[in-house]
Order: sequence, then C-alpha cells, then structure tokens
Amino acid sequence: MTDALRLPYVAVPEAVEPVISMVDVGMTYPNGKVALVDVNVTIPEGDFVFLVGPSGAGKSTFIRLLIREQLPTAGRVVVAGRDLSTMRRSQVPALRRRIGIVFQDFRLLPAKTVYENVAFALEVTGVTGAEIRKRVPRLLNLVGLHEHDDHLPAQLSGGEQQRTAIARALVHDPAMLIADEPTGNLDPVTSWDLIQLLIQINTMGTTVLMATHNQEIVNAMRRRVLALEHGTLVRDESGAAYEREY
Amino acid sequence: MPLLRFIAFSVVRAWQGFWRNAMMSLAATSTVVLMLVLLSGLFIVLGGLDSGLRYIESKVGVTARLIDNLPMAEVETLKADILALPGVKSVDYVSPEKALERLKEAYREQGQTLDLGGATITLYASVEIGLTDPNFADSVSESLTGRPEIERITTRQVDYQKLLGIIGYVRTVGIIALGLVGLTVLFMIVNMIRIAVYSRSGEIEIMRLVGASDSFIRWPFILEGILCGAIGAVITIILVAVAWEPIKPIMVRVFQMPTAVSTEFLAVLSAIILGVGLGVGALGSWISVRSNLASAT
Repeated sequence: MTDALRLPYVAVPEAVEPVISMVDVGMTYPNGKVALVDVNVTIPEGDFVFLVGPSGAGKSTFIRLLIREQLPTAGRVVVAGRDLSTMRRSQVPALRRRIGIVFQDFRLLPAKTVYENVAFALEVTGVTGAEIRKRVPRLLNLVGLHEHDDHLPAQLSGGEQQRTAIARALVHDPAMLIADEPTGNLDPVTSWDLIQLLIQINTMGTTVLMATHNQEIVNAMRRRVLALEHGTLVRDESGAAYEREY
Repeated sequence: MPLLRFIAFSVVRAWQGFWRNAMMSLAATSTVVLMLVLLSGLFIVLGGLDSGLRYIESKVGVTARLIDNLPMAEVETLKADILALPGVKSVDYVSPEKALERLKEAYREQGQTLDLGGATITLYASVEIGLTDPNFADSVSESLTGRPEIERITTRQVDYQKLLGIIGYVRTVGIIALGLVGLTVLFMIVNMIRIAVYSRSGEIEIMRLVGASDSFIRWPFILEGILCGAIGAVITIILVAVAWEPIKPIMVRVFQMPTAVSTEFLAVLSAIILGVGLGVGALGSWISVRSNLASAT
C-alpha cells in the first residue's frame, strides 16, 4: 500500500500564486510563552505539505494563525492573498470558507447524521436548500460515505468519522485543507485509506497542509516537510522524510 | 432571499434551542410572566387611580355656599369677580331648586328615593367654580374668604392632594417592585442564554470554523431570549384577558370610573405587556450574547 502512495514529488512552479505566505512571523502568548520565532514559509497553490515536530513545537499555533484564530505578535500572515493582520473581523468568515480544517478528534455533532453534519456547514453560511441537496451527496460520494448518510457518528468507525469531517471541511470548495493530526486516532490501515483520500483531494487542486507525528506516512509520501522545533522552523525540505536525513 | 433564509434559520434554531434546555427556558419564561403580571396589576391600579384623579379634576374645584336670599344682581357681580381671578375657568350658579334636584338624582343613582315625609326643604344656593388647574383651589378660596355674599367655601383640593399622594406612593412602590423583578428576569434570561451557549459550544466552534458569520452565530441566541419574552407575554395577556371580567366590576366599584376598564384600556395594556416581554427578552439575551460570545470569531 505504501509503495503505491510513494508518488514522485512534483515541485510546484514558483509562478504559482502562494496560498500561504508567512513573513518573519513570531508568536508570544500573554503568559510569555514563545510559540513561534521568525517563521518564513511560502506554500504555493496545489502543494501537499507535512507540518512535523514534537509536541509543543508550535504546530497548533501555526495552524491557529492560518485560520486567524489568533494574530501573530510579529510578522505577516497572508492566506489566499489576504493579509490576516489587517483583515477586518467581518471578513474572517469569508476567509474560513476558503480554508477547510479537520482535527484528530473529528469534532462532529453527535446528534446529527452524516448528511446533517455536512449540510450543517452549508446551512450556517446561508446556502440554499437546493444547493445543499446538490452538494452534500457529491461530497459524501467523494469520501465514500454515500451509503452511510443517515448514520449517526456513534455508528461509524473512526475512519468514517474522519471522512465525514473531511466532507464537511470541503463543503465550500476551499483553496486549502488543513488537517491537524487527522490520523492520530486511527489504526494504520485506516490511516492509509485516509491519506489516499487526502491525495485525491490534493490531485483535484486543493492545497493540503497536514500536521502529523506519523513518521511512516511522512517517510512513505516524500512530500514537502516543514519541521518546527521550539517554535523555530528548522527544516523546509521537498521530497523529505520525517527526520533529517543528512 | 438570503435575508429570508437567515431569518428562517435563526427562528428555527431559536425554537430548537428553547426546547433543548426546556427546564431553564420555562423557568425564565415563568419569571417573565411573574414580572408582566405585576406590571399589569400596577398598570391597572395606576390606570384606575389616574381615572379617579381626572374625575376629581373635572369636577368642581371650589364651591362657595351663598347666604340666603342673595339677589341675582349680586350673584352676577360675584360671578364676574370670581371669573376675573387667576386660574378660574368657569363659574356656575346652582339655585336651591337645582341643588335639591341633584340630591334626588344622587339618591336615584344609588337605587333609593329621597323621602322627606311630606316636608319641604330648601337647600343653599351656591356657585361652583371650575379651575384650569386644581392647584389654584387654595388661592381662589383665599381670595373669596371674607366676602359678605359667601357663607362657606369648600374645595376638593384635599381629596385631590390625597389621591395624588396615593398615586405617587403606588407608582414608586410598584416601580421598585417591577425593577427588582425585572432584574431577576434579566438575570434568568442572561443565564438561560449562557447555558445555551455553553451547551452548544461544539456547534458554535464548528460554525466559526466553516465560516458562519457573526449574525448566524448570535441571532439564534438573541431570538431565543426574545422567544422567552414573547411566550411570557402571550401567557400574561391570556391571564389578564381571562381575569378581565372579574376585574371590571371591582375597578368600577373601587375607582367609580367605567372608562378605566374600557376595551381600549385592555388593548393598550396588552400592547405594553407584549412590548415589555419582547424588550426584556431581547435585552437579556443581547447582554448574554455580548458577554459570552464576544470572542466567537
């Protein structure tokens, strides 16, 4: 299975518009904890990037800055051409529709079915019922859950729950999908199934940024790797492994 | 259409939210009903007292009882002098015959007949002085004191001041009581919405992450508070409407004023109940949403 996924890394041409651009980004929390120091990263459209590093290295802060849950204390974060520091609060929802996000713990609504969980993300953004009825089945097809649309999350396996979360993250056809430890709660076989799905989504043009501790997946995929340690970007390497190889 | 979708979404979510925490919602609604019943009671009592006040205002301000057999020429001179006084609106001469007729009429109104046992009585003639403002009663009385044509002066200024005092007292006590109950209601609604926000924190987080706007996140909660106020108001209006028939005769008996219990009065009271219910619901939920969802996006 892993050999099949060991795709040759195709460098994205530099002319491609960056989806993410971080310039001299620093983040220090009010309690004095330094989470990020002078991070400079550019991620072009269509890239598949792993964000690695030990716990506390700054991966979560990195992600929170991208979805403008927090603002950096230094530097600039530009996502999909918008400087997040100067973005008005009222513009944040539009930004978040350009970014899909999934988490290790799925964060599904337990009382809603698979269909309703995905549809909910459209309802709360004012999408019409007709459009919801069109988009949700298409997304459930993509993630392979069209036959489970009336199941509650508790009736699904971990992998199926994560697929539901991915379908929900894709409802607005985002430019970028951020996956924060998406395989953290999954067994190895299910994890690889999920990676295949992420590759498929990436192939369709969506930039994927995946924060992970899963060495096997990173080593097998040989994609671009951003490695954080103590808030510092210590490695930004294409076609790389989880650990430094030189 | 997007606005209609937004309204439909918010109303449906508010309705679902109200029943999801049914116990808390019903407790808050009960306090709204309690407050509005108190408000209604205060409004009814003050309305009756105001009617009584208007009744007194509309009646004679000062009555001057005249000496016996005062010639009409002197009565006319006296009337002209009184009319020239500040604050005097009208001066009417009441002959002894007219006074007797009024007495008989008063008896008839109470279902009795004036029985003099065949004797004849002569009542005093008087002039009834209408005032532009009841507060002129003292100055007019003073101006007339000592005039030889006048035997005695009576005013209803004391009644007026007494009623004014009662109204002021009832209003003050009522407003304080209403204020306290109002604060309790606000506290209940603020808490109800806070619990709703916490119980749906997972949903709110997902809404934020998928790009729901502030309005989509906040308005269902605000509408939930308004719904609480609206349900409380409707219950109170029903209670008042049901209690209205038994209340009416009491109002007439206590305040002597049928106008105080008119249909128009009930309509105004219903509008006030609804307005206050919606207002308190909106204010409570708005305060709660502001403090509990301040960092929602």
